Amino acid sequence: MPSEVDAVQLRGIGKRFPGVVANHDVDVTIRPGTVHALIGENGAGKSTLMKILYGVQRPDDGTITIEGKQVVLKSPTEAIEAGVGMVFQHFMLADNLTVLENMVLGAEKLHGIGDGARTEIRRISERFGFDLDPDVLVEKLGVAARQRLEIAKVLYRGARIIILDEPTAVLVPQEVDALFENLRELKAAGNSVLFISHKLDEVLAIADDITVMRRGTTVGTADPATATKHELAELMVGSELPSPETEESTVTDTVQLSLSDVTLTDEFGRNLLTDLSLTIRRGEVLGIAGVEGNGQAELVETIMGMRIPTSGRIMLGDQDVTHWHTRQLREAGIGYIPEDRHRHGLLLDAPLWENRILGHQTRPPSSKGMWINRKGARKDTERIVADYDVRAPGIDTPSRALSGGNQQKLIVGREMSGDPVLLIASHPTRGVDVGAQAAIWDHIKRARRNGLAVLLVSADLDELIGLSDTIQVILRGRFVGTFDPSSVTPQDLGTAMTGGAA
Amino acid sequence: MSAATAQRSTIVERLTKSWLYIGLIGIGVVSFVRIITDTDDLTGAGTIRAAIIATCPILAAALGGLWAERAGVVNIGLEGQMILGTWGAAFFTYHYGPWVGILGAALLGLVGGLLHAIATVTFGVDHIVSGVAINLIGAGAATYLAEAVFPEYEGGGPRQLNGLEAPAQVTIPGVSDLANTISDQHWFFVSDVASVIQALTTNISTLSLLIFALVIISALVLWRTSFGLRLRSCGENPQAAETLGVNVYLYKYVAVLISGALAGIGGGFLALVASSGFSTGQTGGRGYIGLAAMIFGNWRPGGLLAGALTFGYTDSLRLRDTQSVHSLLLLVAIGLLMFAAWRACRKQVKGALVVAAAGALVMAWFLLTDSVPREFTVMTPYVTTMFVLALGSQRLRMPAADGKSYRRGSAG
Ligand SMILES: Nc1ncnc2c1ncn2[C@@H]1O[C@H](COP(=O)(O)OP(=O)(O)OP(=O)(O)O)[C@@H](O)[C@H]1O
Ligand SMILES: [Mg+2]
Repeated sequence: MPSEVDAVQLRGIGKRFPGVVANHDVDVTIRPGTVHALIGENGAGKSTLMKILYGVQRPDDGTITIEGKQVVLKSPTEAIEAGVGMVFQHFMLADNLTVLENMVLGAEKLHGIGDGARTEIRRISERFGFDLDPDVLVEKLGVAARQRLEIAKVLYRGARIIILDEPTAVLVPQEVDALFENLRELKAAGNSVLFISHKLDEVLAIADDITVMRRGTTVGTADPATATKHELAELMVGSELPSPETEESTVTDTVQLSLSDVTLTDEFGRNLLTDLSLTIRRGEVLGIAGVEGNGQAELVETIMGMRIPTSGRIMLGDQDVTHWHTRQLREAGIGYIPEDRHRHGLLLDAPLWENRILGHQTRPPSSKGMWINRKGARKDTERIVADYDVRAPGIDTPSRALSGGNQQKLIVGREMSGDPVLLIASHPTRGVDVGAQAAIWDHIKRARRNGLAVLLVSADLDELIGLSDTIQVILRGRFVGTFDPSSVTPQDLGTAMTGGAA
Repeated sequence: MSAATAQRSTIVERLTKSWLYIGLIGIGVVSFVRIITDTDDLTGAGTIRAAIIATCPILAAALGGLWAERAGVVNIGLEGQMILGTWGAAFFTYHYGPWVGILGAALLGLVGGLLHAIATVTFGVDHIVSGVAINLIGAGAATYLAEAVFPEYEGGGPRQLNGLEAPAQVTIPGVSDLANTISDQHWFFVSDVASVIQALTTNISTLSLLIFALVIISALVLWRTSFGLRLRSCGENPQAAETLGVNVYLYKYVAVLISGALAGIGGGFLALVASSGFSTGQTGGRGYIGLAAMIFGNWRPGGLLAGALTFGYTDSLRLRDTQSVHSLLLLVAIGLLMFAAWRACRKQVKGALVVAAAGALVMAWFLLTDSVPREFTVMTPYVTTMFVLALGSQRLRMPAADGKSYRRGSAG
């Protein structure tokens, strides 16, 4: 089956947006039956290129050849017909529809929309360990489950050329391993996979070919058999690979946040969180490790006042904040980096400077008395853009036009401004490149030296181990183990997260 | 697998059962109020027949709203499309008889829908602005066309066209008579049910039956076919739909055209069944009430049917006598108190207290007065809708991308 015709040939692709050249002179060749990794810094033009290959956007120049036939893709429909399937960097799911409905949409002819489809979904879910219930509303799913659903959608359609735009950003190592296992099978069956990731270990582990993009164009290729992480990083950004080492401890004795016996029940009376207690002192980073869906999101939302605990007490400093509203909590100095930047972090159609005001609408420099301070907000946005290296044509561009990683950097910059006393960070470096990741870690460490307390939820175990002073493992809404990051290994954490002996 | 199917069937069972219970309790309460207040008119066959006639146009408009909003287009142009429908029904019935007349009503409504679709889908005009424009255009066009065309016709004038032939009526002989006998006994519960059966089997217009059938057809098409799934996906997340190969513009167009046609049929009903002819301004805001019924019904066919029936029923009572409107107060009070009890059972204390207080107020009103101004019932649909919105807003779930403009290529 795997013929010698290249699966995809992209030649001289160019795409311009107002004020930016997203792609120019891009040449990529994907051999059949291989996993081809595409790497590059934030805003390098990877997602744009993939959207062109999937027919969402039309290229200004260049040609696309799929399996030896030159094609003009006017819409995703035509790309799907040509055998292309894509998992987008940001979820493309309808919250009010069920898993099944999201899955069969557009592919109703394959297995219908009833029991046939249900059986097929169960089969895929079982085979790949996706744990998806067809009749659950997508609204109820956490980020990792959504990610698995997105991947399952492509598998369901049986595409021959599969584009995965950062599919692993929120998955824990076990889930990544399972996914890679599937990719190898797909590859063996003659399919080609285009894989985008900022996690270079993963790229080296799975890729057969690597193409590097920088500033909108392809700048080189690398051979995963011989290349090292350092070389890849240098090719991408031209800088050293950072390592998240923590320096001497900055933990003080003053307690900044404490939860005592917090329990949260859902409308059916099931416990989402059970008797959780924790303390974070000034200058301390508490890491939460766990497979997604074990209560991390609920814990964060409870602290942020988006859910009210059924019992238990939350103290910020020496104030009881159990029943405070989100705005009061934010005004009291809590920064919040949400897990899903499109659902909770941004107004996609508002300019960057308006997004800067979100969550800070009652505080300087964004407001003056009851008025919004446009000038102050704009000036501070310029600062964030410079400090956090947000690559954008200007602060008046809508945030939708930013690349995923740059959107993330903007949110981190916003949440770190105004000297917060506590930072609640869910996957803070989701989708940012290695250089920016190091920069964000530096920002967090610097703030910590000045007394910032941090609750860090992350699927990236290296990040957890590198940044945290203490790591708690959460399983089914309970803390099941406390680890010292200086001695724990990712393997230990992995075992504890899935309920193995700690 | 089998466990899951079993689980699903119990859900279905539970749902149908709960509808059945709610229906039975509803009839029981109405019957109780009828006997307590001694107003047999409350469930007399005449009242029910009037209620069905009042319900149908609202129901058609509500269905129109459902189709459009499920595809993500807010259609407050329903009123205008309905007005166009009244004219279309009159014109085509005069020339070709009632069934072509109904098609004509749908066609004119569809033209209104087409305008709305062009504005909102193709040009990205704000849905409300376009809807208001359609209402103005619809009213203006119908008035102009009536003045231009109808004075020449037999039975016509610049503002009306009378003596139109109505669609056929059906009666099921045996059932109708039996139900009539039972309902005349004024027994608790049994007679009330008999009245409903009598109204449904005696001289009921085929157009009414068609509109009720359209509720079921809409439910099946929207929720049981892949066409419906695609259409709904455009209202939930058009970008996601686009990336899965759904032609979002096409589905939105189809939805809004169907929406306009349904509203037009509602208008046709007003001209052919609810009265015996066309007159300008005949819709009297029923398009808006249809929209309210749809919101009341949580963007679902069963719900909007309940909403339309509620509004239709109160509307028909208003036209009969003030005594029954007064009894209606007791009905509302009992309803609110029951709702409060249900909320208390679910431990929603605050909500329960608010509803109970409202119920007590209405009860006091009932006990302390013995008549209600007729005008009061005119506002019933609006008051009820506001109540539902205020009490149930957390449970109402409109399509996620409803009313948002969508451009091709914005995915990702
Ligand atoms: N719809 C758009 N309108 C305007 N500019 C855009 C749009 N989409 C992308 N861009 C710009 O094109 C450039 C490339 O963006 P792209 O999303 O392809 O980057 P990326 O390589 O995927 O980055 P990341 O790793 O952060 O996801 C960026 O400068 C971005 O601002
Ligand atoms: Mg990207």
